[in-house]
Amino acid sequence: MSSNQELSMGSYAGIVIGLMIIVGIEVVLTYQHLSVRTLLFALLCLASLEAFVGVMYLMHVKYENRLLFWTIFPATLFVLVLLNYLWPDAYRMARMSLGR
Amino acid sequence: MSQSELTMSTGHEVLMESSPYGMEKKKLGMWIFIVSDACTFATFLFGYGYMRVGSQNWGTPFEFSSILNGIIMTFVLLSSSLSMLAAVRATQAGQKASANKWLGLTMLLGTVFAILHLREWFKMIGEGWRLFYNPLGGAAQFGACFFSVTGLHLTHVISGVIALAFIARGYNQGRYDSSHVETAGLYWHFVDLVWMFVFPLMYLMNAAR
Repeated sequence: MSSNQELSMGSYAGIVIGLMIIVGIEVVLTYQHLSVRTLLFALLCLASLEAFVGVMYLMHVKYENRLLFWTIFPATLFVLVLLNYLWPDAYRMARMSLGR
Repeated sequence: MSQSELTMSTGHEVLMESSPYGMEKKKLGMWIFIVSDACTFATFLFGYGYMRVGSQNWGTPFEFSSILNGIIMTFVLLSSSLSMLAAVRATQAGQKASANKWLGLTMLLGTVFAILHLREWFKMIGEGWRLFYNPLGGAAQFGACFFSVTGLHLTHVISGVIALAFIARGYNQGRYDSSHVETAGLYWHFVDLVWMFVFPLMYLMNAAR
C-alpha cells in the first residue's frame, strides 16, 4: 500500500458508518412513494456516491499513484456509458420484434 | 524478494523497470480484474434496470422483513470491510496474532452474509419463485434477474471467503506477506461495494410499498 496509513481505524469506522447512513437514506426514500424512475435515479446516485467513497478510501485509490485513478476511472466510465447506450437499443429492438 | 526491492538500483544497474503505477504487479492485476468484473456486474444491472423500468407488471414482492434482512446483510458486509482493513494494517505492522484475528472475523462475517443470503433464497424458492416463474403473476423475468445478479454476487462472496482462508494459511506459513493480504483486501472491498448497488436495485426497487 502506498497510503502509509493516512487514516486511522477510527476514521475508517467513520466512513463505514457514513456508508450505513446512506443505506438508511436509501431505505427511507424507498418508502416515500416516488415514481419508479425517480427512485431508480435517486438510488443509483446514492449507490454511486457510496462506491466512490469506498473506492477512494477503503480501496485506497486516494493514496495511490494518480495514474491509477486516471487509468481506471475514465476507461470504466466510458464502458459504462457505452453500455447505457447499448441496452436501451437492445430493449427497443426486442419491442420492435414483439410488435411485428 | 519483492518487486520494489528488485527495482532498486544496485550500484549502477537497474534490475527491473519499475511499474508506472508504483505498485506490485499482483495488485495491478487485481485492479484490472476488478475493472473487468465491475463491467460484468454493470452489464447485469443495466439489463435488469431497463427491464424493471420498462415493465408495467413487474411487481414488488419484498415485504419489510426481506428489506430488514437486506439491511442486516449490508451491515454485516460493511463491518467485514472494516475488519479487512484492520487485518491489512495488522499484517503491515507484523502483528501475526492480530492479523489472524481480523482475517478470521472477516471470513466469519462473509460466511454470515452468505448464510443470510441463502436463507432469503430458500424462503423465495419455498414461496414458488423460479428463474422463469413468478408466483405473484407479474413479470416472469424477476426471478431470472434476482437469482442471477444476487447469485453472481454470492459466488463472489463465497469465493472471497475461500481466497481469504488460503491467504491466511499462506500468511501463517510465511509464504505470503502483507501485500498478498492487501491484494485480497482489494477484492473484498470490491465485493462489498458491488453490494451497495445490488441491495438498492434488487431489494429496495422491489419493496412492497
